[in-house]
Amino acid sequence: MEKFAKAFPSKPLPSKAAKPWALAGVVGSGNLEVLLERGSRPTNMMECHVETSIPGYKASWLAALSDFAHHYPAGGTKITINDQGASPVLVNLRLRQAYDHLTKGEK
Amino acid sequence: MKNPTQKKTSTRAVLARLFGSSARGIAIEKSVLTGYASVGDGKVCVMGTCNGTYIDNAAALRLAAHVIECIEKHPKTPIVMLVDSAGQEPNRVAEMLGLASYFGHLLSCLELARRKGHKLVTVATGQAVGGAFLCYGMFADRIYALDSASVGLMPIAAMSAVTKIPAAVLQKLSKTMPSLEFGAAPFALLGGVEAVWSAKDDIQARLVGAIANATSEDNRAELGKKRGGRKLALDIRKKVLAESAR
Amino acid sequence: MSGVLFHEQTARQRIAALADPGSFVELLPPPERITSPYLAQLGIPVSFDDGIVIGHAKIGGKKVYLAAQVGQFVGGAVGEIHGAKLTGLFKAAARDKTPCILLVESGGVRLHEGSAGEIAIAETMRAIFECRALKVPTIAVIATDIGAYGGIGILSTCCDYRVMTEHGRLGISGPIVIEKWMGKKAYNSADRALVWKTSGGKTKYLLGDADALVHDAPEAVRDAIAKFIGKSRAVSLGSVKARQKELEKRLKKFGTTNDPNAVWKGMGVRNVEAASLASGPEFAALAKRGK
Repeated sequence: MEKFAKAFPSKPLPSKAAKPWALAGVVGSGNLEVLLERGSRPTNMMECHVETSIPGYKASWLAALSDFAHHYPAGGTKITINDQGASPVLVNLRLRQAYDHLTKGEK
Repeated sequence: MKNPTQKKTSTRAVLARLFGSSARGIAIEKSVLTGYASVGDGKVCVMGTCNGTYIDNAAALRLAAHVIECIEKHPKTPIVMLVDSAGQEPNRVAEMLGLASYFGHLLSCLELARRKGHKLVTVATGQAVGGAFLCYGMFADRIYALDSASVGLMPIAAMSAVTKIPAAVLQKLSKTMPSLEFGAAPFALLGGVEAVWSAKDDIQARLVGAIANATSEDNRAELGKKRGGRKLALDIRKKVLAESAR
Repeated sequence: MSGVLFHEQTARQRIAALADPGSFVELLPPPERITSPYLAQLGIPVSFDDGIVIGHAKIGGKKVYLAAQVGQFVGGAVGEIHGAKLTGLFKAAARDKTPCILLVESGGVRLHEGSAGEIAIAETMRAIFECRALKVPTIAVIATDIGAYGGIGILSTCCDYRVMTEHGRLGISGPIVIEKWMGKKAYNSADRALVWKTSGGKTKYLLGDADALVHDAPEAVRDAIAKFIGKSRAVSLGSVKARQKELEKRLKKFGTTNDPNAVWKGMGVRNVEAASLASGPEFAALAKRGK
């Protein structure tokens, strides 16, 4: 297991988010769960915590999260990830799913 | 490897220790025990398994029939359940015919007995592992084990073989997590058994006390927390109950 | 029908599809981060819900307690936390006299947590029967190939009702375990037809161990649940005696064959091939289910 945390600058989350938290994905082989929560501070940072069963990919995780923080207004959120070897494409998809769920209430 | 491990102590010796000369009233047929005996001044219904046998559909039915008979003919008579079974044999016919449902039926019969005022006390005398323990023994009001009994989910070697986690790792962790350890004593730490009876104990006196003190409230989570073997279960259950009451 | 397949949904999607819109309230939700210390110690990824989503919701306007196991997470297996959530939910159902539904997807006890999961299953069985004594309906929905096995297979048979789809499987020993034990010649776990005819929803429905066999669709599962939440099934002397007779008859009639087709025929299926192809309710209609 490898564990790390980092915060990335991001535009503040739109104030009328649908829910206080959202979860996307499940922890299973080649999959991950992303928990996205509102109410983190400061509101111009996206706080990230990752736990992954596959060590050695910290750089690509940070790149993916930085990219997400850049493209989506997610400031003031906290992202916590439990990963069991998901591909970067799937990581990206789960982040977007969690975000849509949080902001639009979508499943 | 296909035959369940035979216990060295004979079944009759174990029965005599528990029930004295009244053990004569217990029939042993294909390693299934049914009958009636005395404990102290009172009569008890006895049902269970011996010789580490496998419980199949027929065995479950015979045990269930005995419980039904006890309910009908001997109202409120305490039921003593003895467990010495290696579990269920992985068998295609048993599965096809719904072994799980046979076990569910046995549990329903025991539940009916409980509701009708029969006390249910289990004594694990030999092997009490996995499904064999779940399908009747663990359903008692109070559960006891002889210290010679093999109680638990499975030995660490078997757990290691299935999970692919090195046995040494599990062994080391079991020092702080008794749930991973196999045996009557660690199982008691989890609250899974009320007490472990040693060879030196007056087992008949213990059984008298066990029946007298049995209540139908499930106290295992409380015990597990108090004894420190299962630290989370009770609090999580309470949390569910509290959050759902809001 | 929405075209959504129930067995392909995640646990959370299943709950959302069954509950009245917006009615589900999760208990001990992921932000509480109640995760398994056992898995953490073993270096295995944890999950924020420990593989089971629990809460209350409304189905057709009626309040229910609802649990959904996450089959993808350690096979939906029951550890200390997972099991305690389940026990607590059935206890809450008994306290509030509210029906309780378990969407089953579990191989049984989580081996990584040892005996704690086994005890939790036993405690949940007690809680289920607590509900039943109070006439609070309990329903197990078994609709995926992970199904209900081991201790959870036994637990499922303790509920008032079992709703299955043809994808669902109910048993104790899984196909790989049987193959290992009996040998590949006697039982080939790769033979899907054989495996499903041993433990699948159709056979369980024919034998009377499943109370409904429905389409693999959330709407169909929901309809079946709606039908059963209104009435409990008492454990009485009459009911256990009738069941004893039924199970004795079953064992006598089929105990000497290992051919599932013989069971199907014996239970009233005239055309086994057609019945194999028929799905859910069509199968139920084709098969005059014997009692």
